[in-house]
Amino acid sequence: MTSISKRKEESHLVNGGVKQSTWSKAFNSNAVWEEKDEFLDVIYWLRQIIAIVLGVMWGVAPLKGFLGIAIFCIINAGVLYVYFSSFQQIDEEEYGGTWELTKEGFMTSFALFLVGLVMSFKMYKLLKYNKTS
Amino acid sequence: MYMHFFLSFFFFVFFFFFFGARKYFSSLRPGKRDFDTMSTMFADTILIVFISICTALLAEGITWVLVYRTEKYKRLKAEVEKQSKKLEKKKETITESAGRQQKKKIERQEEKLKNNNRDLSMVRMKSMFAIGFCFTALMGMFNSIFDGRVVAKLPFVPLSYIQGLSHRNLLGEDYTDCSFIFLYILCTMSIRQNIQKMLGLAPSRAATKQAGGFLGPPPQAAKFS
Repeated sequence: MTSISKRKEESHLVNGGVKQSTWSKAFNSNAVWEEKDEFLDVIYWLRQIIAIVLGVMWGVAPLKGFLGIAIFCIINAGVLYVYFSSFQQIDEEEYGGTWELTKEGFMTSFALFLVGLVMSFKMYKLLKYNKTS
Repeated sequence: MYMHFFLSFFFFVFFFFFFGARKYFSSLRPGKRDFDTMSTMFADTILIVFISICTALLAEGITWVLVYRTEKYKRLKAEVEKQSKKLEKKKETITESAGRQQKKKIERQEEKLKNNNRDLSMVRMKSMFAIGFCFTALMGMFNSIFDGRVVAKLPFVPLSYIQGLSHRNLLGEDYTDCSFIFLYILCTMSIRQNIQKMLGLAPSRAATKQAGGFLGPPPQAAKFS
């Protein structure tokens, strides 16, 4: 099925009163986003999830120093870029350009990443000390 | 009605935890073994995250009581969001060759939106004073409790202009030691905005964009269904 016919089918479903939930749309490629804010919310929450996951992973690894922070920034921006440009194939200009999509929720996710990193790093040191003593 | 229950429950948990924490810290002996120090530090970190969640909920609770549930605020917010969306759509469709009349119409709408935004800010000012007063008292209290205490170890050395905050009131030259205020600020930055979004209390992107948001528009008050 081509992407155009798939979009037509989805919009028909929407017009027919069967509305896909946001979560199912987020994990379907080429989903139809009638509301711009709905898609921006998806980007926002995916960013927060990535921040928590990477924060915990980096703390447990442990990946110290600014290298870890730089890698987080690259992964955060990169994964979401691939998501909205390749997976969802949205028109970036509709949302104000790639920069607007990249900075959506970025600072909050960065702060969340640091909190996760500090907590998991402390927990890792505690468990390591407990194991070796 | 659920908001009343929620607020009462929240205050109960907050004060229970707070007084429990005070009793716990006052019972700590100086010169503990490394493991106890580390576990104390981890407990501090968890406590600070919890304090941040509670203060964010407290701020939203106060704002809800003083501002969000009032008819004036609901009316103004709906008006601002409607006008912002309308203005945004108009700006997208306008071309460079658009007539003077159209441009003047947009300017009039922008002026109207600016006035409504200003009125909305005035309504919110009540809660801002109350929150500012509460938080000044709370921060003074927490700062005295956590004064000179290393609450976490950072896995990186912060930049020199941030060290003043991250190493505030701490002894020694180890800049991976983290003070209460730095961790609290990080927690607040991450937790408060997410709580606002989850509770549906954050302003819409369109409204903030038209009002001139700092560092771009904040997330819209929308939940996943």
